[in-house]
This record gives sequence, C-alpha cells and structure tokens, in this order.
Amino acid sequence: MKNCRIGVYICSCGTNIAKIVDVEAVASFVSGLPNVVLARTYKYMCSNPGQEMITQDIKENQLNRVVVAACSPNMHERTFRNALRSAGLNQYLFEMANIREQCSWVHKDTKEATEKAIALVYAAICRVELHEELESISVNMCPNTLVIGGGITGMTAALELADAGNSVHLVEKNNHLGGNLARVDLTAPYLYSARDLLTERLTRIMNHKQVHVYLESKVTNLTGYIGNFEAKIHSLNGKPAEENKQVEVKIGNVVVCTGYKEFDASRIVHYGYGKLPNVITSFELEKMIRAGRIETKEGTIPKYVAIIHCVGSRSQEFHTYCSRVCCMTALKYASEIKSANPECYISDIYIDMHAFGKGHEDFYRQSSEAKTLFLMYEKNDRPVIHKATPKDDCEMLIEVNEKLSGELIEIPADLVVLMVGMEAREDSHEIARIVNISQDKEGWFIESHPKLEPVATTTDGIFIAGTCVAPKDIPDSVAQARAAAARILARIAKGKIEVDALYSEVNEEICSGCRFCNQLCPFSAIEFNEGKKQSHIISALCKGCGVCVAACPSSAIKGRHFTDNQILAQVDGLFCEIGM
Amino acid sequence: MAIRVDPMFIDILAPLGAEDVQLCYHCGDCSTVCPHHDEVFKFPRKSMRLLQMGLSRKIETTLEPWLCYYCGQCSEQCPREADPGETMMSLRRWLISRYDFTGIAGQFFKSRTTEVLAVLLTSLLTGIFLLYYGFSGGNIHTYDGEGAFLPSQFIHKFDLSIGLLISIFLVVNALHMWYLTMVKGPTFAVPWWLYLAQLYQLPLHFFTQKRYSECERKSKHPFYMPWFIHLGLMLGYVTMLVLVMVFIEQLQSGPAIQWSVHIFGYLASIGLITGTIYFIRSRLKKNYVQFKKSHGTDWVFAILLILIVLTGIAQHVLHRTGLYEWANIIYVIHLMCVVPWLFRMPFSKWAHIIYRPLAMYFAAVYIAAFTRREELVHSFPVFIK
Repeated sequence: MKNCRIGVYICSCGTNIAKIVDVEAVASFVSGLPNVVLARTYKYMCSNPGQEMITQDIKENQLNRVVVAACSPNMHERTFRNALRSAGLNQYLFEMANIREQCSWVHKDTKEATEKAIALVYAAICRVELHEELESISVNMCPNTLVIGGGITGMTAALELADAGNSVHLVEKNNHLGGNLARVDLTAPYLYSARDLLTERLTRIMNHKQVHVYLESKVTNLTGYIGNFEAKIHSLNGKPAEENKQVEVKIGNVVVCTGYKEFDASRIVHYGYGKLPNVITSFELEKMIRAGRIETKEGTIPKYVAIIHCVGSRSQEFHTYCSRVCCMTALKYASEIKSANPECYISDIYIDMHAFGKGHEDFYRQSSEAKTLFLMYEKNDRPVIHKATPKDDCEMLIEVNEKLSGELIEIPADLVVLMVGMEAREDSHEIARIVNISQDKEGWFIESHPKLEPVATTTDGIFIAGTCVAPKDIPDSVAQARAAAARILARIAKGKIEVDALYSEVNEEICSGCRFCNQLCPFSAIEFNEGKKQSHIISALCKGCGVCVAACPSSAIKGRHFTDNQILAQVDGLFCEIGM
Repeated sequence: MAIRVDPMFIDILAPLGAEDVQLCYHCGDCSTVCPHHDEVFKFPRKSMRLLQMGLSRKIETTLEPWLCYYCGQCSEQCPREADPGETMMSLRRWLISRYDFTGIAGQFFKSRTTEVLAVLLTSLLTGIFLLYYGFSGGNIHTYDGEGAFLPSQFIHKFDLSIGLLISIFLVVNALHMWYLTMVKGPTFAVPWWLYLAQLYQLPLHFFTQKRYSECERKSKHPFYMPWFIHLGLMLGYVTMLVLVMVFIEQLQSGPAIQWSVHIFGYLASIGLITGTIYFIRSRLKKNYVQFKKSHGTDWVFAILLILIVLTGIAQHVLHRTGLYEWANIIYVIHLMCVVPWLFRMPFSKWAHIIYRPLAMYFAAVYIAAFTRREELVHSFPVFIK
C-alpha cells in the first residue's frame, strides 16, 4: 500500500518480554521493512511516557499507521487506540501484536522466541497497511424499561427507574406482586416484617404514574437491540383467558429479576417429606407463622421442633452451592417458634453455620442464648427421620452422627422443618431464550463478569438482578436491583449509546436472501427484510464475531475491521519466509 | 445404639453453674489452651458438647470433670464467654450428686435453703446433745482431766462414730463412681492388675496435687499461688482430721502444751486459716476467673470452715489461759460447726478430696488399659474384633 507511514513500537514489558525476546533484534529487523518509518523499543509502552512517545511520533513523523508489539489486546488495545485518537489519528489504524502471552511467556528459547516475535510483528504490519478509517455509530436510547418479575428486586428496580421520571413496564407472572418475599413473615436478622418491607413498595408502585404493572402476564417475545427493544407481553391482568391480549411495548433496556423457586424436599427420600405428615418445608412453616399458630397436623402444639439445614444445598447429588439465606432463616424460625411457645425445645441440625455479614453473628449468638440446641452433621451422612415408638414423648426421632461429639444420637421431634434451598426457576430457560442471555449448569443466569459486572449480561441492554442470578438475601437483591437501575439511568441520561465500529455489513447488491445467516447469528442481530427479500444486520446488536461472514454462500457479508484482505494479509505475513 | 439427646438437661445444670454452656460453638480454643487436655481425655470442649446435648448417661461415666483443677485459662480464652471452666465445675457438682446414692447432695445443690436448714438442724441437735451430756456428767468449770465438761475420751468415741458413718457414705459413693467410670464407661475390659500397677497414683495425687501445679504453666509465680494455697489448705485439713480422729486425747490434755502433737495442730491451723481467708477474699474480690461465680454451697463451705478454724483456735487459747467456762462454751460451738461440716462432707464439694485423687488414679488405669488394648489391636487385629 502506498503512502503508508508505519510506526512500530516494541515493548519490553519490564523484563516480561525482554528476558526471552530480543526486542532490539525485532526492532532492527522491522526498521528495514518498506513503509516502516520508525521502530522503537521501550520498557513500558503502556506507561504515560510510552503513550506520549506514540502521540509525538505521529505528529512529528506524519505516521498514519501504528503497530504496538506488547501484551494481549484485551489488556491494552484501548490504551493505544486512545493514544492514536489524541494525536488526531483514526483509532482503527492500529494493530497490536501479542508478543507476551503468546510468545515470551510460553517460550524458553530466545532465538525461537525472537523469530516468532518477528513473525507476529511482521504479520501485524502487513495487516495494518490494509486498515481503514472507521467511525463508531451511535443509536438512540429509548428511556422506557421492561422489568420482568415483580418480587422485591423487580419492584425496587421499577421504582428506582420510575422515580427518575422514566416509564417502566413491570411484568409479573402471578396475580399479585411481592414474589417469594410475600410468603415470608419476618426477616433475619433484625426481624423486620416482610409485609412492611413490601407494603411500602406495593402502594407506591400501584399509585405510580410511570409504572405499568402487568399481572398474570408473560413476556413472549423480545426483538431489537440495546436502546431500541420491542417486547410482546401476553397479559391477562385479572381478565378471563378468552380476553387475553398481546401488548407491545417499546423499551430501551430490560431488567430480568425472575427470582428463584424452592427445592423440592421430596427428592431427598429419607427425610420422608410427603410421607411423614409433620415433616414440613420452611415455606410451610412460614405459612403457619403467618397464620399465627405453629402446630402439628394433629393440631397439637409441638414440644420438640427440629430444623434441618442444607436441604438440597451443598451436596453432590442435588446442588453443590450454598443457598445463603437458610442458616439465618433457620435461626429466625428458632426465635419465632420460641417466642410463640417458650416451652418448646428447638434442635438446629446443620452442616456449617454460615453467619456472614452484618448482624448475623450476633443473631447466631442470640439463638444460642435462647438455648437452641445446635447439632452438626456430616455433609455426606444426612440425618434420618423415623417414627418414634408409642412410649416416647415425641412423634419422630432423628438419627444423626453428631460430628462435634462423635456420638450417634437421636433427636426428639414433633415437627421437622426442612430448610429447602434455592433453585433456578423451571421457566428460566424460556426467559433466557427470549431475552437472549445464558445460564450456567444449575440454571442461574450468567453475569457478564462475576465480580466486576454482576448485573450486566453479554447481551447489551439486558440486565439481571436478584435471585435469578444466584441465591442471595434481600439486601443483596435490592442492591442489585438498584445497581441495574443505576446502569440503565446512566444510559438514559446520555440519550444515545456508542456502538463499536466492529460490526458486519450485508452488501445488498449481492445478498440472495437465502437467510442462512439469520439462524446462525448468536446475537440475533440479523433481521430479514421481507420486502426486499434480503437480510439486514442491526449494527447495534452485532458483536462482529464473523460467523455470518464465514457462512454467507455468496460472500455478501463483510466484517468491518476483519475483512478477508486484512486477515489474509496477516496470515501471509505470519507464514512468509523472512530471513534474519 | 443411638443415645437420645435431652434438651432439658442443660436446665438442670444451669443452677449448678453451667449458665453459659449453650453459648459454646465448639471452636476448641478451651481444649487447646488447657495443659491437661490430651488424646484420651478431651476436655473441656468434649464435656461441653455432651452437656449441651444432655447426654447425662454418657457424662456420668466420664472422668474428665475431675481431671480439671479449674485454673480458668479456658474461660479467659473463650471467644463466646461460654465459661468452660465453670461448666466443668458445674459438672463436678452434678457428678457429686450423681455418685451420692442418698440424693442429699442433689438437694443441697438445688436449694440453698435446704442445705442451710440441714446444717442448722444438725448443729442444733449436736449442741443440745453435747450440753445435755456435759451437764449430766461433767462440770462447766472443768475443761480437761477428771470431771471435764466434755471429756476427750468421750469426744474421741463421738468423733470416731461420726467418722465411721461418713466413711460409709464416702466409700459407697466412691464405689458408685468406680462402677460408673470404670465398669460402665469404658468400651473395653480393664484388667485388675492395672489397678495395682497404678496404685501409687492415688497417694501421689492426694498429697501433692501435682496436676494442679501444672495448671497455668505460664504463670510468673514459681509456686503457682492457687495450687500452693489449696495444697496447704488440704494438708492442714487432713492433718487436723487425723489429729482429731486419732490423737484427740493428747491434743485436749492440758494445760501444758504437748509439742509432739500440737506442732502439727499449729501448722495445720496456719494452712487452714491462710487457705480459708485466701479463698473467701478471692471469692469476694472476684479477682480471678475461677472465683467469679460462687455457688451457694461454696459459701456454706467457706463460712463453716472459717467458723471451725476460729472457734478451734479460740477454745485452744482459752483452755491454755485457764478460762475454762469460756473454753467449754466455745468448744461446744466449735463442735456445733464441726459435726454438720463432717456430715455435709459426702454430699458437698468437699467430697472432691476423695473423688479427685480417685479420678486421677482411675484415669491412669484407664490410659494404661487403653494403651494396652491399642497395642493388642495393633498386633492381633482379627482376634480382638
């Protein structure tokens, strides 16, 4: 390519690269190549002086292409692109050669490593010559949001967004809001009433002009892309099934907070759930507590209550994860049962007591003070419940290999409460399909990054919050709801959203309308124009993965910044014989 | 066979001192810090666990509570203020009542009123009996020799009969203890000759309280004070008991001082009075963790003992100074304290003077039997099974 003035920068990365790769040899080889104006080495290219060096060279030597041989582009591509930008050069006239992760870190021989580094840099030079100036695009951001799930998480997210003056469509499957929290009496560890937590939110949502609540409703379809989604809501809203209607709403972002379902206790056979009448789940106990009377099926007040932890959680057979809330909920039950009936003896049969975070350790201590009998069982040696004999003063006896004493013991019980863990909802895969997000092997939705992006997903504009992501307690769910709302509000405030210039385009003159690419796109970014009988790529949705480019039988699709010529030039550069 | 837990047991032990045992979450710090904890006798944590679960049938067969001398390090270390030291103490109180076949000990621990009433009643009956005896045969103005108000020959017989009576209680209770801990407890047979081989442990622990001296090793004192004073108190007590039971006639003859017996009496008095004052002072000041909580029976113990020591010294001094009437009156008061004290012995904390060295002895036998069995199992794994 004519008029190319390339600057090549080889980073030593302290000694990370320089101790294996002879960076000077790379520089001297490269400097002799046609179109290469200069080749420099530097200790840390990513440092401020390193970046300034590039900026200054561009200005002084009229460089119009830059190659940096350093670490992975994942690490610093953005850094160097910014350096180009600040020198007034289009950021896409840049290529990075990875001579650290893919070279110095994985080789031991200096000669071979240097040869490989030269090949990688040469390939980058060949490629960069063909780079074109690209401009990133921006799209409008629709200020409306769709919130799926009307539990505490969904309600919080909806209110947060609506209070900022934006319209929210809140879709709930059941005929009432509140989710799982509506089934709970008090909350651990401060014993706040769940009803109080919900009522405040409920009344505000019901009277909020900006929140549109759809009860007994489901999102059946979602099309579009970040800022410009269109959702179809199949809504009953208290009307008979014949009158069901499809509502279509335009939205900019989606928050998924579909929550969890409890583990089915009958799956653990030897707890006898479903067979022994007085073996109940935690939610059945909540129901009794809310009704104001804790009693056995026979209507008597239980003298001995046993609470078994980790039902469905922390086991190889069911779920290996900890459901996080059950330990404190169990302590809450101990406190609630004891205050309802001070004569009652409570045994708490656990694997480990997880009392993490604020207030929980104190709550655990209070429960000890109230003489809850804590008994520890081995993870793989579950307690066994059987019926007591008529001469016992209790209805059931629980046999446990008690771990802290090493004794085989029997615990008397009139009522056994199983602390059922949290599970992904059975319909979560349907939601995942509709909003195009992924699930892990347990069915939880996957975050974009487990630590740094806990509410974002790999699909732009789709956020996840609360217990549909992983088991968590109320404060964490509420925090996630607000985090998702904050992310969305930031985008709404901007009004527009920048989309990376790396997307694919269909050459409409060549496309035959075979629709082959339509099904292949992993981001649902290709729509079919029925009028023109041609496929069209929504650039905002496209991630530039290149699947459609490779698949198109008429080569009608071009991946911007990854054109055939660019890739082939790079491959040629990598494999051509270069004498040293 | 599974043992049933008893959540109510903890409520029985709470008035005996185990008020905070439910707070224990089994971190094991107490056992780590205890210099007496070993592979076979795991305490205090294990004992705390059995108590929390209410496995009383198991606890009654354990020796662990007696192997603790209550130095209090565990309670200082406990991150949850579950007070393992006091828990072990409460278990000793419970074991005393468990070994006691009459059930009196249990009543005393349960109700201070019962104990105080029993002490007062015994005291009153003793007083009436002695006054009746004294006035019917003797002269209040005579202390020793012919016509004495309370002749030492009579007191000798009186002491011996009381001694015999309490010995019966103590021996039966000790046998009960042996049965529970050495027959019912161990899962293996304990051969009889090991009892002979380890017999030296009994006097060793009785006379030296060697194990107590090993408590609080980090203590700055070369003579660990609580141990030293406790030993003095105990030796003083035993010496005095021997003097009263065997040498009372020489002891009470007068008015000349018989140095061959009286020197022991003086030494014993020093040990007794120092010890009693030290422990009363400590319990009042609560300056050390093991003195922070005092059970009602502890106070009855301390008050009776100080009264005995003071009246004993007073009658001795009055006798030698010729104030015979006063000497006789104080002597009656002295005996009114001594008799309930002696009768109380098998049913109170005092009994630990017997149970503790016995437990050390049994523990040594147990360990010998345990080791022997381990070796046997190691050599002939098939036969033993």
